[in-house]
Amino acid sequence: MLKLLKEIVSNVFKKPVTIEYPKIRPLPTDRLRGRQYPDLRKCIGCSLCFIDCPSNAIKMEKLPKQLPHNKRGIFPVIDYGKCLFCYQCVFVCPAKAYVVTTEYELAGAELENSEQLSLKTLSRTSQQEQSS
Amino acid sequence: MLMSIVEIPVGPQHPALHEPIMLRVRLDGEEVVGVDVVTGYNHRGVEKLSESRTWVRNIYLFSRICGICNTVHQQAYVQGVEKLMDIEPPPRANYIRTIMMELERIHSHMIICAIMAEVIGFDSLFMLIMRDREVVMGLKELIAGNRVHADIHIFGGVKRDIDDKIRGTVLRKLVGIEERIKYYRKVFEEDFTIRKRLVDAGIIKYHEAIEHSLVGPTLRGSGVKSDVRADDPYAAYGEIPFNVITRDEGDSWARMLVRWDEALESVNIVRYALEHLPSGPAIPKTIKRAAPPGEVFSRAEAPRGELFYHIISKGGQNPYRVKVRTPSFNNIVNGVFAYRGAKLADVPVILTSFDPCISCTERVLVIDERRGVKKFIRLKELALLQR
Repeated sequence: MLKLLKEIVSNVFKKPVTIEYPKIRPLPTDRLRGRQYPDLRKCIGCSLCFIDCPSNAIKMEKLPKQLPHNKRGIFPVIDYGKCLFCYQCVFVCPAKAYVVTTEYELAGAELENSEQLSLKTLSRTSQQEQSS
Repeated sequence: MLMSIVEIPVGPQHPALHEPIMLRVRLDGEEVVGVDVVTGYNHRGVEKLSESRTWVRNIYLFSRICGICNTVHQQAYVQGVEKLMDIEPPPRANYIRTIMMELERIHSHMIICAIMAEVIGFDSLFMLIMRDREVVMGLKELIAGNRVHADIHIFGGVKRDIDDKIRGTVLRKLVGIEERIKYYRKVFEEDFTIRKRLVDAGIIKYHEAIEHSLVGPTLRGSGVKSDVRADDPYAAYGEIPFNVITRDEGDSWARMLVRWDEALESVNIVRYALEHLPSGPAIPKTIKRAAPPGEVFSRAEAPRGELFYHIISKGGQNPYRVKVRTPSFNNIVNGVFAYRGAKLADVPVILTSFDPCISCTERVLVIDERRGVKKFIRLKELALLQR
């Protein structure tokens, strides 16, 4: 008991382990499974991620324009409200098309999906094409 | 004069742990004369749901039966399906799976000991153990990518490999973890308050533990040497030396000390596995999606005891039936005799010493409430109802 008291008293003078969350953000490791989205420059529209998704969070949508590498003309859209972040989609992707991040703060007032993030990757290509 | 027996409900809101279960405790004065366990507050229909989902999707479903022992649920399911599909996972994958399962055992044992400290009113010890448990969770995140749900298993291997940098970090942090576990073990062994509450509470004798088919640390706390990891080695346990911890006292205190000793043993297993990690591939190139017809039994040692999966396949992409028997089911329902003769204040302590996991337990209950009649349905009748 005395020994534990020593431990408890010494903890009073230590820096707290808890952090004041919105002010200080915890640093995730670089292997944290955070927000992921498909890169449309690589996606071939094979729908394997759609087939394997355990929570039906992925839907296949029509591409706004025809892409040479994507013969089917479809791409996956992830509903982040349903996603479990199990990364089965990232693992199963034969084209390694998923962009992985360690972003974990996904709570918000609106329902979010990966459509805009994916379409942005497409405009990135056209900008690069224009510059070249 | 007639004896007056009073019935007191303990739960279903927060009986000892933060999970819904009700104990109907019958009392003669302060002394417990009988306990009925009422479950069914957490039924989710996981087994039925699994029949309509593919083999791959079910990996993630079964790991969500229980939050704390998710990796071992995945292991039991994946090794069963691998047997069915005739796949042999590479040795490196087996070692990584073992490391994840042992890290899980460490933090599972730490959380139940912390909750035990909270139940007996020792909140500062609860805070201290939870603080140090966070280091183990951090290691899980480092290896698998998430603090709680590892989701690292896949048919024929693991989804993520370990490099030398991660190996070094885990080995370095294990030193600190081991030191803390030794310290807490000593506190549980020697502290006056803890001994006063736990010693001689809920005694289970050697033959009683076997008669009522208890499993896990509850069984080993009564001196029975039984551990699936040693009796029927799976993953990499056949190649890793470790001791099966037993204690002869059979009370709540012995069960908690078995957990601390096992956590120390788990630290050694993780260290050995990391130092002897075989080279070669761990990530499979392709995943099989269909299984041939057949039937397999698969078992693994969860932190709470023997976990059992019975998988039936009729061919194709979905299982025909998956039956899960979790350790908590045995310990909570069959362990009611341990409360007899105890005081009412000891009931939460004894319940906690079984390390109950309610969400693990509740998948198998049938409730027929249409006419407000309670009815027990036999398995054959249930099968007829489903048609």
